[in-house]
Amino acid sequence: MLERSRKINPGAAVPLRADRRRQRRFPRLPDGNMASDRSDSAAPLLAGCALWKQGAEARIYRGKFLGRAAVVKHRFPKRYRHPQLDEKLTRRRTVQEARAALRCRKAGISVPVVYFVDYTTHCIFMEDLVGSITVRDHIVTTQQSGDNPESLGGLADEMGRILAKMHDEDVIHGDLTTSNMLLRNGSEGPGADLVLIDFGLSYTSALPEDKGVDMYVLEKAFLSTHPNTESLFQQLLNSYTAASKKAPAVIKKLDEVRLRGRKRSMVG
Amino acid sequence: MHVTHELELFPEYSVTQMLFTDVKNAAALRKSAMEGQINGALINPAMLVDPFQALVAANKAVHLQKAGKMKTRSLLSEIIFNLSPTNNISEAFRRFGMSDGDGAVHVVTVHPREDMSDVDTILARVEGRQVPVGEISTFTDVPGIKKLYKVTPSEEKCGSLLEAVVCRMAVKDVV
Ligand SMILES: Nc1ncnc2c1ncn2[C@@H]1O[C@H](COP(=O)(O)OP(=O)(O)O)[C@@H](O)[C@H]1O
Ligand SMILES: [Mg+2]
Repeated sequence: MLERSRKINPGAAVPLRADRRRQRRFPRLPDGNMASDRSDSAAPLLAGCALWKQGAEARIYRGKFLGRAAVVKHRFPKRYRHPQLDEKLTRRRTVQEARAALRCRKAGISVPVVYFVDYTTHCIFMEDLVGSITVRDHIVTTQQSGDNPESLGGLADEMGRILAKMHDEDVIHGDLTTSNMLLRNGSEGPGADLVLIDFGLSYTSALPEDKGVDMYVLEKAFLSTHPNTESLFQQLLNSYTAASKKAPAVIKKLDEVRLRGRKRSMVG
Repeated sequence: MHVTHELELFPEYSVTQMLFTDVKNAAALRKSAMEGQINGALINPAMLVDPFQALVAANKAVHLQKAGKMKTRSLLSEIIFNLSPTNNISEAFRRFGMSDGDGAVHVVTVHPREDMSDVDTILARVEGRQVPVGEISTFTDVPGIKKLYKVTPSEEKCGSLLEAVVCRMAVKDVV
């Protein structure tokens, strides 16, 4: 759950299908639908892209979409699942990711622009935030450099504000981690320009309980990925609380969920 | 004047866009397109923010045609339908298609990469003045687009109008 994507040889292009479409046919586009070939392989769509990251649920490719730098998220079939169930789950995640993107953008929350979705092969083509880094990498680097850990305070404030805004829109992210937040301009530039990603497990709910669990997932991920950041995370929660009228009810639920978690771990 | 793009996802096809003003034969053009004499989607340029918007619509149309999942009867009508934020087909044509009295038209055609014959036919048929496709923004009805796509002020703070429009076109099947 925490860090599912593993970097594979960043920067090096791995052509998926080097000699694509050697024999070009130029069928004239007929009226109406063409007979579809029933392979739902995404390979032709990804032919011009290079594999960038391999996760448990999806592969991330980098390439071009109609001339623009694009990231392609391909949710590949899981052989260990029943095919029909897998198809249903994968489709739902693709749909949720696309839906949440629009919902967030409407509310002024930065997420990558969705360019194109293929619901047959479960590929999402989106804006590539070139030059961005994950909040995870930024925190790790800052902590390692040893200097000025207070500089992360502004980032924690911004994270709290954005998550409060997202929850005010009743969007539950479902997988909040510091790897699922990007800094648009890397570590440089004034202010934290935070972009949320990876909405495949998201859903909408107005319940403080659901929002509390969302924050609990983040807390667990945050504190285990970044040791000794309890006060930083508290700063995030303070900012979250200050940013929304609905936040106190969520924090109350967060406290309850924490307690339940602790009881469970004492028993089990 | 016109611009041609390759569709990276479907490299056997190219998309050419042409923009005309002072058009005198809008009704006749529409008739020719419906009868299949010209192979181009006739779009109301007031509803376009940028040529990229038309390109996104064309790419999606080719994809859906190959997948056998078009919602309309032809590739050209599918391009117009894809521009619309809703799934109402007649509304899409009314808003995004050229009307008989229009004096400007943006034409989008999908063709095999090396075959420009459809483009030549369109250039020959349109009685009007061709202008560079890059001038599309001088035709754009920005308030009309914001209203139709329901673009919120907060959304404009985190992205451009073009991004707002493209995002809606991409996800409209599932909202
Ligand atoms: N639009 C994007 N621009 C830049 N990098 C991205 C983008 N989308 C994803 N990434 C990178 O790929 C990683 C994995 O993407 P993510 O959507 O979180 O997939 P997963 O479900 O495998 O975690 C992210 O942590 C980020 O580093
Ligand atoms: Mg992720």
